[in-house]
Amino acid sequence: MSDRLSLTIESSAALPSDIGLLASIAQDFASSPEMGATLANAIHQIMTYMEAEAASIFLLDESGEKLTCVACAGPVKIDGLTLAAGQGIVGRTVSEHCLQRVRDVAADRDFSGAVDQLTGFCTRSILCAPLHIKGRMLGALEVINKASGDHLFGEADAQLLLALAGMVSLAVHNARMAEALVEQERMRRELDLAREIQRGLLPTPPDAGFPVCGVNLPALEVSGDFYDFFMLPDGRIAWGLGDVSGKGMNAALLMTKTIALFRCLGKNEHDPARLLAVLNDEIAETARFGMFVTMIAGVFDPASGELVWANAGHQPPLWRGADGGYRELEAAGVALGVLSGMAYDAQRLNLADGRLFVFTDGATEGHDEHGAMLGLPGLQTLLERHAGLPPEALLAAVTAALARPGVRLHDDLTLLAIGR
Amino acid sequence: MNIEIREQAPFSVVTLGGDVDMHSSRQVRQQLLDCLARKQPLLVDLAAVTYMDSSGVASLVESFQVARKQGSEFALASVARPVMAVLKLARLDTVFPIYTSVEERLARVD
Repeated sequence: MSDRLSLTIESSAALPSDIGLLASIAQDFASSPEMGATLANAIHQIMTYMEAEAASIFLLDESGEKLTCVACAGPVKIDGLTLAAGQGIVGRTVSEHCLQRVRDVAADRDFSGAVDQLTGFCTRSILCAPLHIKGRMLGALEVINKASGDHLFGEADAQLLLALAGMVSLAVHNARMAEALVEQERMRRELDLAREIQRGLLPTPPDAGFPVCGVNLPALEVSGDFYDFFMLPDGRIAWGLGDVSGKGMNAALLMTKTIALFRCLGKNEHDPARLLAVLNDEIAETARFGMFVTMIAGVFDPASGELVWANAGHQPPLWRGADGGYRELEAAGVALGVLSGMAYDAQRLNLADGRLFVFTDGATEGHDEHGAMLGLPGLQTLLERHAGLPPEALLAAVTAALARPGVRLHDDLTLLAIGR
Repeated sequence: MNIEIREQAPFSVVTLGGDVDMHSSRQVRQQLLDCLARKQPLLVDLAAVTYMDSSGVASLVESFQVARKQGSEFALASVARPVMAVLKLARLDTVFPIYTSVEERLARVD
């Protein structure tokens, strides 16, 4: 814009008052919070100063196919009037990306008399400047019928209109950026809210000494992973951990559904294999886009150490025996939501003094401090390094090792530990 | 990622190659669903796939579900090792019909 402004200064005879108009409009643009009113005010100033009978600002819509009048001044109101992007002199300004000066519209075959017919206004001459920013067309600024002198727009008018068009372009661009920021901020608040609601679905941390604990760190604002546990009336503890395929909001929504179903149905169905079969049918009925959930559900009896679980396509949990040895527990059925009518097998073991670790691939696909992917051996090493800690502190140490400050998680990270 | 579709009566054979990930799976999904919309049996050749993430797996699951619903055939052929590992983990190898090669399935056509 500064180039054009200096051009105006060099070529315009009426320099001090041109600067006065530019300064006044710039001040308006800078101070007004509302775009529509500012443009309306500016177009009146432009019309009056340039001694035109009418003036208007047209903006392109998002598709670039339509031009709509967003501000006008003069005897007829054409706010809201829409033209096809190539129509008339305004359209030609936009399609050719350059200023148009038409001294006699009757002699210009691109002139469309449609607006005059509609309004009764009589257009004789037009000066129209493109509105653009960084090569992107925004629309056009036009003045119609010079009311003074020889009734024709001259070179000085053209230079001044270009300078004004530069300012209007910047103002429109800034207003749109501000709108986008507001929208972005709204989306961010929505995501924060969704994240809070999701966190609320996870179990509250139990008292120290409780034999089940878990941790969930989303890679994005919301998580496609989940874990849950709750007491059954007979003193046993129902627990579950799952991972929804994909990332982002769609995974988070299916996660929300799955954890809600698990908690609701799990209170009555204490057989993990049958529970997974019911969850599978529910999810298969409604899941879209081929989304599925891998999940392990189980019941732990802290009195006897008896553990029962079933696996729907989730990666094998790791059992650390009392002797310090680790074993992958591989048996599993099909992931939830793929095909209804699936059956799952219940697995059993006595945990005795051991621990069971259930986790999502965010744990095995996490990276160590040298940037290498952990894999199952790496996770096992990490678990063993902190094996002397109580389970809550152990999970905290493992997540701290994977989600180090400055390291961006590639996937949601969820771990569940069963046994003290 | 590259994708090739050929007609080998009575099948549409879709051959995928390269990485089927978040960026390419949308296209894979659309192509598979377009083939299914023609109600032809569909074979997906996965020999040249080097990587498949869960969005890629989801496009296979969705196609499998659509085919099942409309009563048409959907099968995988020549599943490359990295893809098989992903399918096995979710035990999808037990629900998808899988052939060692496209030819194996074609040889069974009556």
